[in-house]
Amino acid sequence: MNPVDLASASASASGWPLLTLLIVLPMAAATGMRLVPHPRQARWAALLVALAEGVLACWIAAGVDPARAEFQQEEWAAWIPSLNIHYHVGVDGLSALFPPLTALLFIGVIVASWNAVQTLPRLHFALLLLLEGATMGVYLSLDLVLFFLFWELTLIPLYFLVSLWGVGPYRRYAANKYTLLMLTGGVPLLFGILLAASLHAGGEGAPASAWVFDLPTLMVQALPVEAQIPVFLLLFFGFAFKTPLFPLHTWLPTAAMEGPAGVAALLTGLKLGAYGILRVAIPLAPQGAMEMHWLLAGLGVFGIVYGALIALTQTNLRRMLAYSSISHVGMVVLAISSLTLEGVQGALFQLLNFPLAAGGIFLLAGWIQQRIGSTDWIHLGGLARGMPMAAVFFLFLGLTGMGMPGTSGFPAELLMLLGVFHTYTGAGLAALGGQILAAGYFLTAYRRAFFGPLTQPGPRQAKDLLSRELALMVVFSLVILAAGLHPALVLDFTRAASEAWIARLSPL
Amino acid sequence: MFANLTSLAGFDHPPILFLLQLLPAAGAGALLLIRREAWIFPLAVGVGVLELAGAIELFHLYDPLMSGWQWVEHQPLVGFFAYSAAADGMTVLFMLLTAFLTLMAVVYGRVRPFAPRNRFFAAVLASEAALMTQFATLDLLWFVLFSGVQTVLAGYLMHTWSDAPEEGPALTGYYQFMGIGHVLLLAGTILLGWIHADALHQGWRFDLPALMGAPIPILFQGSLFFLLFYGFGVRIPLFPLHGWLPAVAEHGTVAPALVFILGLKTGFFGLLRFVFPLLPGAVEQWSPYAAAFAAAGIFYAALLALMQGNLRRMMAYAVVSHTCIVTLGLFSLHSHAFLGSILLIANFGLAAATLFFMVGLVNRRTHTAVLDRLGGLFDRLPWIGLAFFAGGWAIVAMPGTPGFDAAHLMLEAAIHRFGALVTIAAALGNVTSASFLLWSFQRVFLAPPPEGAIAPRDLPQAVFLENLMAFSMIFLLLTAGFFSDPWLQLVESTANALAEPYAGVHAAGEVP
Repeated sequence: MNPVDLASASASASGWPLLTLLIVLPMAAATGMRLVPHPRQARWAALLVALAEGVLACWIAAGVDPARAEFQQEEWAAWIPSLNIHYHVGVDGLSALFPPLTALLFIGVIVASWNAVQTLPRLHFALLLLLEGATMGVYLSLDLVLFFLFWELTLIPLYFLVSLWGVGPYRRYAANKYTLLMLTGGVPLLFGILLAASLHAGGEGAPASAWVFDLPTLMVQALPVEAQIPVFLLLFFGFAFKTPLFPLHTWLPTAAMEGPAGVAALLTGLKLGAYGILRVAIPLAPQGAMEMHWLLAGLGVFGIVYGALIALTQTNLRRMLAYSSISHVGMVVLAISSLTLEGVQGALFQLLNFPLAAGGIFLLAGWIQQRIGSTDWIHLGGLARGMPMAAVFFLFLGLTGMGMPGTSGFPAELLMLLGVFHTYTGAGLAALGGQILAAGYFLTAYRRAFFGPLTQPGPRQAKDLLSRELALMVVFSLVILAAGLHPALVLDFTRAASEAWIARLSPL
Repeated sequence: MFANLTSLAGFDHPPILFLLQLLPAAGAGALLLIRREAWIFPLAVGVGVLELAGAIELFHLYDPLMSGWQWVEHQPLVGFFAYSAAADGMTVLFMLLTAFLTLMAVVYGRVRPFAPRNRFFAAVLASEAALMTQFATLDLLWFVLFSGVQTVLAGYLMHTWSDAPEEGPALTGYYQFMGIGHVLLLAGTILLGWIHADALHQGWRFDLPALMGAPIPILFQGSLFFLLFYGFGVRIPLFPLHGWLPAVAEHGTVAPALVFILGLKTGFFGLLRFVFPLLPGAVEQWSPYAAAFAAAGIFYAALLALMQGNLRRMMAYAVVSHTCIVTLGLFSLHSHAFLGSILLIANFGLAAATLFFMVGLVNRRTHTAVLDRLGGLFDRLPWIGLAFFAGGWAIVAMPGTPGFDAAHLMLEAAIHRFGALVTIAAALGNVTSASFLLWSFQRVFLAPPPEGAIAPRDLPQAVFLENLMAFSMIFLLLTAGFFSDPWLQLVESTANALAEPYAGVHAAGEVP
């Protein structure tokens, strides 16, 4: 299907440039937030926009034909013709499910900051919406410069959100650390993109207008094999910062501890780095990825074990969750490195699972922090007495993360393990070990925090989940159960695109 | 592209370049004569707006697809002294930037009254006239003379209106450095004129086409290169010739003066206009050395910036760090590199100007730029804070700002010429710049005020004109960043013409 040319305003299948709307709507709303007459109304405006965004994202996903592997609903407009850079967006089975779940998580974050944000609420919600728009842009971009633009654009709102509304005393340090590490990661990423674009045009001396930044074009015509390794390494290294892979993960625990609850949920729930590896790094340089698969696998395994071991030693719920998230994403990278259909589908499933399981549990942790003022076990012990509903959902989401049957975590973990065992037995065993460790650290933490000795009045008197919080958790849990009990919903959706993804690796 | 110039002489079109130079000069003269206080600001703004409209009109009339000079004006005056002006894409770009920044400076002068106001506005408009002349002229002697005029005007602005206690020694250093720079430039200019007179026996000429026509003996190429390169290097300022800048930035608290010196990089403009076309052999020969100094300078300046306790002083080092990045790009000697560098110069200029204006607006309230005395200003001055952030973001050439496409073109060319290692190091140096800008932004705007600092609540809120300034600068940075295609097209022919003499550098293979 030819992309819709936005400039000539011709109509897409549904008559509207929906993808563009998905990106632009929250950004426009963010700019217009200033016009909201009263600061207290900002949250309503933001919630309304986020709900509209959710509907729009579902509509787009419903319009995708999962049987076709290629990009669909493409929209195109000339942007910087003299450098052959264009505005080009589209979805396929790989990416289409991310926007709805992202929108859901953003709704959750807005609800979670309902009363928590007292200073400059208009700016806060404007930044959240800006972040939502930029994140949607990352998922939908098919032009690498556009992708990079959205990629870096996510930094600005995050920087402000963490430094202005963070809950910890070192929030500004956390914001600086996060932004600087991401900027550093942006350097290899940009060089990787430039290298791919110029090599595709014939290497040195090619005029700038011949460079190719268009992802579908780059995916069809493979780069010279010897050039693929540097391209892959640069891109992979760039994405590894955000994933985060050991040893580039240090920002995550800091940001999770110091940042506001919502941002911690977004940082752990939206694994843009792993998505980038899946969407850009490997398809651009398939042979390079096949050559370097041991590096991915090694870093993945190391991340699983390292994250789990460090999580075992934590005495703070949020810090423990941050390290467990490092462990989980290590598993995703290991599964991707298996380069098998099961591995990729499992990894995708798990990436889709993160906004619900990891994002949701961080929202819960944020609510606990808001009530008790801390998430250290020592201050929590016996919290189940005061907050029984929170205890229930915390356990449910935690078990989802560990892959309990019946939840969406189970098919994801199972497929990933199948894929990994198919390629590397040893690493698969290590991954299983990581699962056992996960049970160890999560259940220990859970027992101490929710069923430990009640030494302080705080946890006993804490108010349980409010109705809006409860409603949110119910929605999250229902989606998790639906995908867990009927995994074909997701697997059928991603199959054709995953098969095409694997097929691109085969021509060797 | 230079050869067909003389045949075009005797111009049959409206002298738009001449008018663009004349208008601010006339405005400055009128302001000095004016007696009624109420007319001063409207007149200054009127001239500023008219000039900006003229520059935009020039941008519309300019045909980017046509190579060579456009709107050529040539008029012999007395002896070797001739008026000669023409525009290429680079001229148009810098004229637009000058007109915009001057208008901002005029608005700034309204917000922060500098008495006597008519003299302040006259000095601002006269600076604009001098800058416009430098960007329009093809005559090296004119360029150097007006560069001198502009230097003195900026010094005058700082001398008269700076409220820092120690601006005296800072200005002394400024004049010493600039004086030496101009002596070098003048020596180089005269040497070039003499070479022309000696070779062709057509008398002394200083305009670019004439100078291009005379072959320059190998013997003189090196010394000419160093005379002009160092001369412009002081003005740029290039590491290690930047000694005057930190003190001037710290004590010259008159933002428009700093904007005219650092926001409009006439030193780079001079290098691109005269040195690169005239001395290709010497440029090629010395480019590895220039690049090595630039690469060292990126880190030197970035690290020193991290150590500063004064906001304006820190920004001075930021300027040195990014001029080094541009220098690295320029000496890659590739059309992409020239294209990227020219745009990057304009971008850095705009970004640095934004920072200096915003710090000036802060300074108006706090009367200090010492970081230990500032904090928590964001709640009080959100737009000024956002504009400062946008300026910082643009200095790092992040996507969405005008520098992004430019930086990636430039880095691509630098990789091929100097290797990936140097280039990636330069890009990481850029991240270091990001770190000090983020850090200072947090200190000044987000962090709670430290002990002994001025409480933000006691400071007056921003007035309409201040928010308008902040908003215009953010708007320009973002729109020019997202719609960068017109700018790329505008300077493409200039960049190609600049790269012409260096075609052999890249064909011959890479420098290790």
